[in-house]
Amino acid sequence: MWLSTDAISPRRHQNVLTAKYTARESQAHDNALGPARIMGAAGLRMTLAWQVARTLFRLGFAAALAVFGGRMIEGGTFVVQALAGALGALVLAGCTGLIADRAAARTETELADGLRARLQAALADMAPHRLRTRPAGALIAGLQRHPDALAGLVIGLTAARTMMGIGPLLAALAVAIVSWEAALTLLLAIPVMGLFFALLGGVVRSRAATQEKNFGRLAAQFADRIRTLPTILANHALPCEHDKLETRMTAYADSTMEVLRVAFLNAGIIDFFSALSIAVLAVFLGLGHLGLVHVPGFYGLQLWQSLFILIIAADFFTPFRRYAEQYHLKAEGEAAAKELDWYFVAPGHDAMPFTFEGLDTFSVAELPTTGLIAISGPSGAGKSTLLRMLAGIEPPSSGITTLPQISSLGCDWISTEIYVPSGTLAEAIGWNRNTPARAALQRAAEQVGLLDETLLPGGLDATIAEGGANLSGGQRMRIGIARILLSSGAVFADEPTAKLDAETAALVRGVLSESARQRLVLVATHDERLIETADRHYVLRPPRSKEPVAA
Amino acid sequence: MSIKVAEIKQTKPAPIPAKSRKSPWRLAILFALAAIASGILLTGVSAWFLGAVALAGLGPAAFTFNFHTPAAFVRLFALTKTACKYGERVVGHRAALLDQVRRRTGLFTAMALVPSTRATGWQFGNQDRLADYIDDVEDVDFARLRVGMPVLALTAGAAALVIATAWFASLALAPIAVLGLAIGLMHTWASSRVTRQWASVRSSRRTAGQQIGSALAALVPLKAERAFSSLLQEAFSLFSAAEANTLAQRCAFAFVDLLAGLAGPLAALSVLLAAWHAGHRDDALLYPAFVAFGWLAFGESVQTASRILQGHVRERAARAGLDDWRATADTESSSTSPAPLQTLVLDSIPRQAPDGRRLGDAMSLTLRAGQPTVLVGASGTGKTTLLKQIAGWLGADDGRYTSDGNILHTATRRALSYLGLHDAAILSDTVRANLFAPDATDDACWQAIEAVELRPRIETAGGLDAWITQDVLSLGEAQRLNLARALLSDAPLMLLDEPTEHLDSAQGLRILERVLHCSADRIVVYSSHNEQAAQDAVQITL
Repeated sequence: MWLSTDAISPRRHQNVLTAKYTARESQAHDNALGPARIMGAAGLRMTLAWQVARTLFRLGFAAALAVFGGRMIEGGTFVVQALAGALGALVLAGCTGLIADRAAARTETELADGLRARLQAALADMAPHRLRTRPAGALIAGLQRHPDALAGLVIGLTAARTMMGIGPLLAALAVAIVSWEAALTLLLAIPVMGLFFALLGGVVRSRAATQEKNFGRLAAQFADRIRTLPTILANHALPCEHDKLETRMTAYADSTMEVLRVAFLNAGIIDFFSALSIAVLAVFLGLGHLGLVHVPGFYGLQLWQSLFILIIAADFFTPFRRYAEQYHLKAEGEAAAKELDWYFVAPGHDAMPFTFEGLDTFSVAELPTTGLIAISGPSGAGKSTLLRMLAGIEPPSSGITTLPQISSLGCDWISTEIYVPSGTLAEAIGWNRNTPARAALQRAAEQVGLLDETLLPGGLDATIAEGGANLSGGQRMRIGIARILLSSGAVFADEPTAKLDAETAALVRGVLSESARQRLVLVATHDERLIETADRHYVLRPPRSKEPVAA
Repeated sequence: MSIKVAEIKQTKPAPIPAKSRKSPWRLAILFALAAIASGILLTGVSAWFLGAVALAGLGPAAFTFNFHTPAAFVRLFALTKTACKYGERVVGHRAALLDQVRRRTGLFTAMALVPSTRATGWQFGNQDRLADYIDDVEDVDFARLRVGMPVLALTAGAAALVIATAWFASLALAPIAVLGLAIGLMHTWASSRVTRQWASVRSSRRTAGQQIGSALAALVPLKAERAFSSLLQEAFSLFSAAEANTLAQRCAFAFVDLLAGLAGPLAALSVLLAAWHAGHRDDALLYPAFVAFGWLAFGESVQTASRILQGHVRERAARAGLDDWRATADTESSSTSPAPLQTLVLDSIPRQAPDGRRLGDAMSLTLRAGQPTVLVGASGTGKTTLLKQIAGWLGADDGRYTSDGNILHTATRRALSYLGLHDAAILSDTVRANLFAPDATDDACWQAIEAVELRPRIETAGGLDAWITQDVLSLGEAQRLNLARALLSDAPLMLLDEPTEHLDSAQGLRILERVLHCSADRIVVYSSHNEQAAQDAVQITL
């Protein structure tokens, strides 16, 4: 059933972010949606209970108002109890409604928080090679949006769907007290509506599929052109792309309207039956009052009874409308669930054995506790992976385990990619280093030549921008080296001298071999001069290409 | 990995551009007004009708009562309500979509003309920043549909009912005025509260995203130091803060909905009470009953109050963000036709990064056609900055660039140069469109593709008209396609940032050689952090 009053929103993030990865990893997992339903079950029950209470009070209000108005007009009596009842039921309906809304909001918040806690744990444990298969931007955008989208599906939409079952039933029961025939008339509308929904659903799906086929790739053209704007400018293509963008967005908007024209018929059906039942019941009840027609259940009623049926008839269809309004949560939530599955799937392990030139076996235990160890080999041989396994960052495999001397405090990793917090230079060097004394920071900074007033004015108090944006690669590297001067564990470095100016590269070589006197330094490198100073040198062979397996 | 083979299907004639169409807002608003009016009338007339027949049924009037007219009206209103509601949705969405096209093309141009688009690294290359931006654009795009139009319809409905109330049960205006005042106060309270909370949600989410971004960029060193999870903890606590604020926001919305839900029924009761108090009895109560049930129907429509408020708050926040892009637009000069350029003299060009960081002493340089220049230096030494300065993307227009004694202004250098960005993007479009050479023949395109060793890849993809996207190409393939763009460009000033990045060194050198060969009669400057890429070019170390 395709129900929506606002068909734009389901498309919202799908095109830019979410649809991209689901296509590739389309295996059916249920690691997010199922657990989320379990996590939200208690809160959902609570929300539903309050929503049922609201519906009951609302029915009570309708009854009291009908009695008050009906008796006033027909009997000329002012029924104070009915007025008090109406006011009381109205206030109670409002309050229970407020509680229901807040319960739903709280449950969704708790669920989203719970999902994020799981995501955080999954991210913290995830091996870098797997984490890097996703672009950081897509990952962040997903973390910001997916938990909320999934919570909306599990709580909001589920509650609305359940109420679509309960609400009309309660309303029909209330009407049945007055006239079971009228109740039956209302209930009869449901299967007829269902039939229309089914018929329309097919048309909408086929139109949506046609749109996807003919115009699907135009869906996110605006986002794409914003993303690629500098490239467009560099290629002098602004006027051309502007016109193309306008044409394509217009074509896409037109094709969207083709789908919406049918999709809105769904909401139209709800409106139609809601309006029609009021009209039909009003006319039948009116004829009954006049005594012109003797339809059982519509004859011999008092005015308050007719008014009651009329008010309830309007309420009867409200749950359908509410569900239709929230229907867009379905697509968003399901897409989010698919995306979130990725975090909770334990990946298969494809172990790659490492082979070293001139060595039959490589044992982690044989590595010394101090000294400079260089690992070289052609690209793709797995130098970085080996280094990461020894550092305990990647799960162990092929007999390579974490170095025994690495404690839970970890080790140092020198690279231009080190984390540089924003703030001052002193804070950047001393970050995660047990607040070293200023004198020690001063010494370390001086030793690596970071106190150059022309390039980084301010000495230890020099300002470091968010993400270290105002630092050159060389300066980042120097901060990394200054940091190892303030620690004592094993040091790892992956191609530390590549992409560096000659002066910084020499400094790196010097500090690494100096440090190797007291601690273990492992480097993966092509730098001949660095290899020369190494105490041991391992050469990794490229992985053997997979030979065809004979059947 | 394979690229989907497909050609653009033109199933329809070219659509009419949005600006030449008439905006259907007026019709949409008309539908919205008619829908709310029919809703009120349907319930009101039904109640009046029931009351009237009930009173008539008690006496001899039963047989003379003309029930056909009210019954016909009831049916009419039922139909118009349904039809107008549908019309409101369809025409409203159509109007919003047309506006969207117009607004977005305008925004695209405005952003292209803002100087920072050229000067700094492109923030919307990041998917999370792009997604935030698109959210903002969308919040503005649909504001009129989600806020403006419903507010107008509800105001009109309320005004009509107030007038009817004044006529039939004027005393009820007092409680209705109190209700209106309460709703106004609630709106003011909720609006300022929710605006504050939404701003805080946006900023915590953004900060959390930035923190996760920098943690992911330093993933391996952080994991080695066992500090990754504590950084994640920090970022995720911001997400929790955002979530808590969202909850507070929704609680405020729940109060708005509570009051909005009470409004219709309370007004209905007030009208009946006031009529009774005024001494109306029997038939005289029928019109008040009509108005009372009209208020009841109106109450149904007000139930979307919190969504209107939410749309309003989001629109304002989004607009504030988007307005920055309209603030300072450069004027784009018409591009002059590329004329041959023999020399380009740079006279003490200041060396300063876009963020104001000093990169070194001012630099003077003479670039000559046929004599490629390579800028060598470690990352962060300002290679990109210098290339952008030469291209006229960055720096003051102060006459420091001359050719044969003529000053080359920023706009001229922009028009004369081809700037191959190191992070050049692939458009979601055909291969041909991605080459940015609308006048090139197929042969020329294929030659360029051949020269960057992409021929087999593009052939399997389906040729020049195959649709490609950024993520079907590897970084190396994207870089090579970018070099094919350079090969097809006839700009006399060729500036390439890291042309061999992401390529293995042998292939990088081969392709660079071909590019340099093709542009032998032009001024070529490229940058590299790899000294091998220097070839026999003039080397400038930064």
